[in-house]
Amino acid sequence: MLEVLKPGLETSVQDYPGRIGYWNQGFPPSGPMDSWSFRLANLLVGNAVGDAGLECQYMGPTLKFQRAAVIALTGADMGAKLDGQPVPLWTSVAVQAGQVLEMGAARAGTRCYLAIAGGIATEAWLGSRSTFHQAGVGGMNGSALKTGHVVPVAEGHGVAGRSVKETARPPIVTGKRWVVEVCAGPNDDWIDEAGQQRFLSADWKLSSKSNRTGFRLEGPEWTFAPKATNKPPEHGSLPSNIIDHGYPLGAINLAGQTPIILVNDGPSMGGFINPYTVPSAAFWKLGQSKPGEIYNFKQISVAEAQAMARAMKAICTESSIV
Amino acid sequence: MIYDEPRYMPGGDRYMLIEFGNEMNLELNFMAQGLASAIVANKIKGVVETAPCFASMLIHYEPEDISYDDLKQEMARLIANLGPSDNIELPSRLFYFPTAYLDPWTKAAIDDYTAKINPEKEYDAAFVARLNGLSGPEQLVRVHSGTEYWVASLGFWPGLPFMMALDPRCVITAPKYNPPRTWTPQGTVGMGGASTAIYPVATPGGYQIFARIPIPIWDPKRRFAAFEDSICLFRPGDRVKFVPVSVAEFEDVERRVADGSYEYNVVGYQKFSVSQYKSWVAGLDRTKRF
Repeated sequence: MLEVLKPGLETSVQDYPGRIGYWNQGFPPSGPMDSWSFRLANLLVGNAVGDAGLECQYMGPTLKFQRAAVIALTGADMGAKLDGQPVPLWTSVAVQAGQVLEMGAARAGTRCYLAIAGGIATEAWLGSRSTFHQAGVGGMNGSALKTGHVVPVAEGHGVAGRSVKETARPPIVTGKRWVVEVCAGPNDDWIDEAGQQRFLSADWKLSSKSNRTGFRLEGPEWTFAPKATNKPPEHGSLPSNIIDHGYPLGAINLAGQTPIILVNDGPSMGGFINPYTVPSAAFWKLGQSKPGEIYNFKQISVAEAQAMARAMKAICTESSIV
Repeated sequence: MIYDEPRYMPGGDRYMLIEFGNEMNLELNFMAQGLASAIVANKIKGVVETAPCFASMLIHYEPEDISYDDLKQEMARLIANLGPSDNIELPSRLFYFPTAYLDPWTKAAIDDYTAKINPEKEYDAAFVARLNGLSGPEQLVRVHSGTEYWVASLGFWPGLPFMMALDPRCVITAPKYNPPRTWTPQGTVGMGGASTAIYPVATPGGYQIFARIPIPIWDPKRRFAAFEDSICLFRPGDRVKFVPVSVAEFEDVERRVADGSYEYNVVGYQKFSVSQYKSWVAGLDRTKRF
């Protein structure tokens, strides 16, 4: 059991891959934004890769362990300390009953994952413990952690001293600039040739108006192909309007002139085009970047995006643990 | 128009979007929902889930189990087997909702909007009636409540239904608010474009609003049997009938909802036959309004 002394900034229970199968009712999957780090944290403590853990973002929580446990921290460095002693990232650590884990502001990266042997055992909603804050679903009675919460944890048998190989860790950059893969489509043909080139060559700044629903980007104006302006009226009045359609997770959704990457808690449908989509294996970069940082988009094929996801799945296995 | 051949588009490594046409047309939604049913019936390997929308369908697939090209081939085969939309039969339930039209709660939300955001805003019911050539709010109520609605899609918020009028004599359209409202009461019924929606909870919104239902369509505590399988009420392909009631009747139902004694008025799953629907529509005089 984890007692929440300080909640941090919207620290939430998440599992992987989240709440799948309810997209046609408007439910997003939720789940960890950097599932690469998340899965490895679970492996370190002997859990299945998808078991529920904590996603800590920007400012981590302070937690008191009510019983002995084995934990692991991965992803962003939040300068975690256990009873004042630094806790290494990417390594499983034994904690004793009564010890306090204190996490601070994220240094390198943005999201830090805490896995605990046995996994967090909150009530599952529609098959998942992932928190979907906006609708009050999952997590701790539908919300992020709050001071005084006691987070239930299942029995587990973790082993301390296990580490993730250096080569198997996501290369979290501190240079403020990320190269993020995208696939063209579904609606790339609504953007003219110049607009497509501009998208792929420009610097896109991550706006502070970003959250687990959408990542807003600031950059140059978009220009459109003739089909965006010459269309039946039920599409809507803006060039980027289209008859409401389903949104892929990761879609770069063009709301007027503002591109918004639809991430884990994003909407399932709406009336804007999606010229590009960020593939699943590039989501960790979104999860580890901060507002103000720059994205450069690199176009890859669907087959390449699928190969990236396979490679990441292969990394998120026992073979990466020493 | 309805495309001769559906268009297939990728969305990253795990999604495919299939467009059946480029207009708001019930027939396109019947095709999308028919394909969703066929995918389930044929147990297509690698399809994780589907989400039909007005004129298209999104497929979430597992690329380790099926490649994009193989999925496209399988979908083309299923669509060919669907044949003309007349052959499609869809599982459908019918919900009856007591509905307070021209109610005080949506009026309060509109008054707040005109006071704080846009003083020029005409009352939604009068505005929608005028744009659609109706005599006024009272006729809007007759026309809007004169039809069953088809749940074409769910989204924007979990469980929020986007519905289309099944009776062509009741089709009305409305532009959205610009800028949007900052709040809308839970259970509000509103319109944007040609679709009608119900707000599951109090949220911002852009639809023209003129009615409210006292019945939850979203129930995280699952107090009612209607939420046995999910915490939202609707599935694509459900139908809704709004039954006009007085504010007093609305409040009576609201009390029964609060104490848990309310019984949802729903006709269970039946087959909705597209061909029978179309032959009924063909015999109607579309120039007549209620």
